[in-house]
Amino acid sequence: MNVISETHFSERAFPIAGPVLELENISLRFGGVHALTDISFNVLEHEVRAIIGPNGAGKSSMLNVIGGLYTPQEGRIRFDSELLSGMTPGRAAKLGIGRTFQNIALFKRMTVLENIMAGRKLFNHATFLEVALQLPRARREEIEDREKAEEIIETLEIQHIRKTQVSRLPYGLQKRVELGRALAAEPKILLLDEPMAGMNVEEKQDMCRFIIDVNDHYGTTIVLIEHDMGVVMDISDRVVVLDYGKKIGDGTPDDVRSNQNVIDAYLGVAH
Amino acid sequence: MTGTHVGGATLWSLLANNAAQRTGEQALLLKRRGIWRSWDWKGWHDEASAIAAAMTARGLSAGTHVAFLGENKPRLFTAIAATHCIGGVAVPLYPDASAAELGEQLRQVEASMVFAENQEQVDKVLEVLPDCPSVKTVVFDDERGMRHYQQSDLASYDTLLEQGRNNASGAAPIGGDAPAFVFYTSRTGEVAKAAVYSHAAVIAQTQRAATAQGLGPSDRTLAYLPPGWSCQMMMSYAQAIGSGLSIWCPESSDTLLEDMREAAPTTLLVTPRVLDAIMSQVTTRMEESGGIGLSLFRRLRSEAEREGAAAKASSGPGMMTEMMLNRPLRDTLGMSQLRMAFCAGDMLDPAMLLSFRKLGINLKQLYGTTETGYLLAMQADGEVQPDTVGRAVAGIELKVTDSGELAARADGFMEGYLGDEAATAAARDADGWLLTGDVGEIGSDGSVRLIDRTDSIGRLSDGTLFAPRGVESRITTSPYVREAVTFGDGQDGVCALIDIDTLSVGRWADSQEIAYSGHADLASQNAVYGLIAEWVAEVNKNLAADPTHSNLQVRRFVLLPQELSVEDGMLSRLGKLRRAAIAEHYAPVVRALFNGAPDVALERAIDESGLHTHDDAHPARLQIKNAAVVGDIKNRSAA
Amino acid sequence: MDLYEVLFFLEVLVGGLLAGVMYSLVALGFVLIYKASSVFNFAQGAMVFFAVLSFVGFMELGLNFWVALPVTVALMILVGMATERFVLRPLVNQSDDTLLMATIGLAFVLEGLAQMAWGVEVRRLDLGIPDVPLTWLADLTGIFVSALDITAGVVAGVLVVGLAILFSKTKAGLGLRAVADSHAAAQSIGIPLKHIWMMVWATAGIVALVAGMLWGARSGVQFALIGIALKALPVMIIGGFTSVPGVIVAGLIVGASEKLAEVYIGPYFGGGIEGWAPYMLAVVFLMFRPEGLFGERHIRRV
Repeated sequence: MNVISETHFSERAFPIAGPVLELENISLRFGGVHALTDISFNVLEHEVRAIIGPNGAGKSSMLNVIGGLYTPQEGRIRFDSELLSGMTPGRAAKLGIGRTFQNIALFKRMTVLENIMAGRKLFNHATFLEVALQLPRARREEIEDREKAEEIIETLEIQHIRKTQVSRLPYGLQKRVELGRALAAEPKILLLDEPMAGMNVEEKQDMCRFIIDVNDHYGTTIVLIEHDMGVVMDISDRVVVLDYGKKIGDGTPDDVRSNQNVIDAYLGVAH
Repeated sequence: MTGTHVGGATLWSLLANNAAQRTGEQALLLKRRGIWRSWDWKGWHDEASAIAAAMTARGLSAGTHVAFLGENKPRLFTAIAATHCIGGVAVPLYPDASAAELGEQLRQVEASMVFAENQEQVDKVLEVLPDCPSVKTVVFDDERGMRHYQQSDLASYDTLLEQGRNNASGAAPIGGDAPAFVFYTSRTGEVAKAAVYSHAAVIAQTQRAATAQGLGPSDRTLAYLPPGWSCQMMMSYAQAIGSGLSIWCPESSDTLLEDMREAAPTTLLVTPRVLDAIMSQVTTRMEESGGIGLSLFRRLRSEAEREGAAAKASSGPGMMTEMMLNRPLRDTLGMSQLRMAFCAGDMLDPAMLLSFRKLGINLKQLYGTTETGYLLAMQADGEVQPDTVGRAVAGIELKVTDSGELAARADGFMEGYLGDEAATAAARDADGWLLTGDVGEIGSDGSVRLIDRTDSIGRLSDGTLFAPRGVESRITTSPYVREAVTFGDGQDGVCALIDIDTLSVGRWADSQEIAYSGHADLASQNAVYGLIAEWVAEVNKNLAADPTHSNLQVRRFVLLPQELSVEDGMLSRLGKLRRAAIAEHYAPVVRALFNGAPDVALERAIDESGLHTHDDAHPARLQIKNAAVVGDIKNRSAA
Repeated sequence: MDLYEVLFFLEVLVGGLLAGVMYSLVALGFVLIYKASSVFNFAQGAMVFFAVLSFVGFMELGLNFWVALPVTVALMILVGMATERFVLRPLVNQSDDTLLMATIGLAFVLEGLAQMAWGVEVRRLDLGIPDVPLTWLADLTGIFVSALDITAGVVAGVLVVGLAILFSKTKAGLGLRAVADSHAAAQSIGIPLKHIWMMVWATAGIVALVAGMLWGARSGVQFALIGIALKALPVMIIGGFTSVPGVIVAGLIVGASEKLAEVYIGPYFGGGIEGWAPYMLAVVFLMFRPEGLFGERHIRRV
C-alpha cells in the first residue's frame, strides 16, 4: 500500500482545490433518535475524503444526507457554493453526485455492460421516436455511451465479465461493477458507502487501487465511509471521524490517528 | 513468400514487401474496449518506420539489443519490427520474469532499450536499472499510472511515435546473416541460455513451417502465449511476416476464450497446459448441462482414453456426435474455423490429443527446441500416431546418437549461445548435428517417439528404464489431477507427488457434500485421497498391461498441500516441472514415500510459505497412501 | 385426414390463436406492472372494465369514436398518476405483500367508481368492425376468420412492437428495468421512481383500454369482463411473469390449445373443457418449468 500512497501524493494531475461541498451544522433526527448532531465539515475538490467511525456512529446517515436520501432537520449544505435545500436522490444525481451502496445496489438482471451503460442514460436526449427509428442523435449517443462504458471497464479491469449477468458475479466484482456504474455518469463527487466491506485483503487492495486510479485519472472528488481505520487511512487526504452522531475528529490521517478522542472511541472508552 | 532472394532478405525487407503488395489486408488486430482494432500491412510498416526513426534518433544502431517485456500486442510487434528496421536484435522476454531474472538477462544481452508494456513492467525495469548501465531508454506503452514517473530515461511509445513520424529515416543496410532475435530457453533445470538467430534462419524456419502447415495470407492466428517463448514469437511475428497471416491479440488473458470465439483462428499454437485447462472447463460445462451432449462427451472421452492407452487412433466421429456435440462445442471454443492446432512445449498425453481430435479439432503434436526452432517434427495429416511427435518435416534431418539422444541438422537453427562459445561448440558435433537434449527413438516409418529429457531419465534398482514423464502424463489425464511428479531413479519402484486440481476436486467435494476450506484442506481429506487412489489404481492397471511398464506402477503417493506454481519456482515458465527444485523442496516427503512411513511431518517452510488458509484445520502431518498395484511386482517399500 | 378436416383444424387453430391475442393483451398489462413493482396487480381486470366502460360512457354522452378514445386515454393516464400518488408513493419501502393488498383495494375502488359513474347495465360496443367471417378470406383459403379477430391481432401486434421498442431501447424502458431491479440503484443514477411508476401504470391503463375495447366489442361491456383477467393468470404462468414476448407467445398457446382441446378432446368429457384446459397447462408448467417460457430462472448463489 505504501508504494501506492507515495506516488499518489507526489504529483497530482488534479491538485486539491477549494471546497466543493460544505456541510454546516447538520442535525438529523429520526423521531427522538439523534442520528447526527451539529456536524460541520467540508470536502475539497479532487480530494479523497473519508468519514470513519465505529458502527452506529452515523456515517451512513451522513452519506445519505449528502446523497439526498435524508433531509436534515437543521443545517445547510452547499454544493459548488450553491445552497441546496430539499435535496432528493434524483436531484443529487443531476448535480453530479454519484454513489455506491453498502449492500450493493445493482441491476442484477442486467449484464455488467448494461449496468454501466445505465449509469449514463440520464445524459441522453434522444426521444422515443429518434431511438425507435435509430436517428443520428440516438445512434451517436449509443456509441458515446458504449465508448465511455468500455473505458470504465478497462480502468476497472472487468473486460472478462462485461457480458455476464451481474447476479452471477462474486461479491467483490459486484462492488467493482457498482463503482463502474457510478463512474459512468462522470460525477463530480463520488460517495462510496463502505466500498471495502466484506472483502478479503486482496480485494481490498484492488479496490483501493481503483479508488486512487479514479481520483487520479478523472480528478473525481471522493467521499468514502468505512468503519475500520486500516486501508482507508492510506488512501485518504483528510478524514472526518464520527462517534454517536457527533464529529470527534477532522484532519489528515496522521492528525486523526494521534487524536485522543478518536483513540478512545475506537478503543471503546466509555463516555 | 516464396522469396527468391532469401540470402539477402531480412524480416524487415519482407515486411516492407508485404506493405507494398498486400494493400488493405489486415496484419495485426487487437481487441480493446470491446472492439477489434486492426492495422493493415502498410499501417504496421509505417508505424514501425516511425518508431525506428525515433530509435535511431536516440542513438540505437545496427547490432544493438532491444529487450521486450509485455504481452502480445500490436505495439510489441511493431516495436520489434522497428528494431529489425534499424538492424537491431530483438530480445523478447517473459512478461512474468522476476526483477532479478530480468536484470541478469538485460545485462547479458547489453540491451540499449527496453520496451515495457505497462506500469508493472516499468517498475520491474526501474528496480534493476541501476545495475544495467547499457539501458539508455525505457519505453512504455500503456500510460495508465505512469503520470507520476519523472525519470528522464522513460519515454512513452506515443512520444516515440510522434518524434519518429516527423523525421523518418531509412532501413539499416544489413543482410540476412545479421542477428534478428535472441530467445531465452525456458529450461527446466539450469539457468536459461540465450540462443541467437539470424534473419535468414528465422525466414528459413517460416518457409519450412508454411510448407509443412500449409499457411497463407488468409490464415488467422491468436497470439496469447508468452512472447518470450521462441515458439510463440515464431508462430506470430515471424510467420505473419513470412506467410502474410494475421495476428489477433486478445484483450486480456481473462477474456481469452471469448476473444478466441470472435477471432476464430485458422491456426493456433497450444501447450499441454492450455489444452488441460480447456478440457477441464469443457468437462465442467458438459457435466453441468447434462443431457445427451454429456453422454456423447463421456463416450468420446472414454474412447480417447482407451485408444490413447493403446496408442492407436480410430476413425472420426459419427454424424450424431458431430451434430450434437462437436460442432456446438467447437463454436463455443472458437475453434470452428481452426484448420490445425499445434501443441508444442511439452509432450501431450495421447488420450488428451485424441480427445481433441475426436472433437473434430485437427490437433497435432510438434517437436522442436529453442536451439533448433520449434518445428523439427510434426504429426502428419490423417496419420496421427498419438504417442509419437510425427516425422521430421521436409528439410530436417533427424537421428538418434549413440547415447540415445536426438540430434538434428538443417538450415535455420540458432547461430549459437550469446557470449558462450564453449556451450555453442558443445551443442554441435563436427558434422553439424545439433544435440536436442531429448532422449528418443525413431521408428522404422521415421516417426519420432520422445522419452524424456536426457537429464531426467533414470533406472529403477532392477535396471528398468524410468522416464518420469511417461508415468506422470498418465496420471495427469484425470481432470482431478493438475500435476504429478514421480520419483524412482535408483529405487525399487515409483512413487508420486500429486497436485490436485482445486477447482474440479472442489466441485466433486461439493457434490459429495464434503466441506473444505481451501486447497490444503481439500488435499488432506480422506475422501479426496480415496478419489485419487482409485484413479492411481486405474493408471497402474494400464501400466501393468504393458510388461515393460509393469514395474513402473505407482506404489505410494501423497497429495501436495500446496499447488506447484511458477512463482514458487516449482514450475518453469511454460509450466514444465522443475524436478530438481521440487525434489529439494519436498525432500523429506520424498524420503518418506520410499521409507514406508505412514505420514510425514510438514516442514515449517512448506507450511508457512503459501497455504491458502491460515487456520489450524489442516493436519500438520501429510499422509502417504499406498496405491493398488497389479501383478506380482516387488513391493517392499509399501509393505 | 382429408382436406376438409385439415381446413377445419386450421380454422380452429387460427381462431384460437386470435382469441389468444386478446389473452396476451390482458396479460401484458399485468407484466408491465409486475416488471416495475414486482407486484401482481389484482386491479388489472378492474382497469379493463373501468377503461372500456368509460369509453362507452363517453360515446353515449355523444362524443364520437375519435374524441372518446383520446379522452379515455387521458383518463387512464390520470388513473395511473393517481395510483402512483395515492397508492404507491405512501407505500414506498413497504413489503410486496402490502402492495399486493393495495392493488386489491384499488380493484374495488375502480369497479365502484366505474359503476357509480356509468351504471351497471350491459352495454354494446360497436367499433364498426363486424364479428363475422371474412368472405374473401373464406373463398380464398376456405378458413373462416372474423374481421374483429384480425383487427385484434393487428392491434395487439402494433402495441407489442411499440412496447418492445419502448422498453428495450429508450431511457424510459431502461428506467423501468432499472426500477424493477433495484430502487436504490435506479435513484442513484437519477431515474425518478415516481415518473417510472406513473408511466407504467398509465401504460398498463392504456393496454387495459385496448384489451377492453376488443373484448367488449365481442361480448359486450359488462362486469364479467373482470373475469377475463383470470384467464391472464395461466398466460402469465406459462409465459413468465416478467417477459413481454413470453406472455404474447403464452397467450397464443393458451388460445390455440383451449380451442383445440374443446373441439378435439372436449367431446370425451362432455364439453366445457375450454374453461379449465389453460389452468391444467399452467399446472404442468409450474411443475416442469416454473419460470415460464421466457421468464428468468432464479439464480441463487450459495
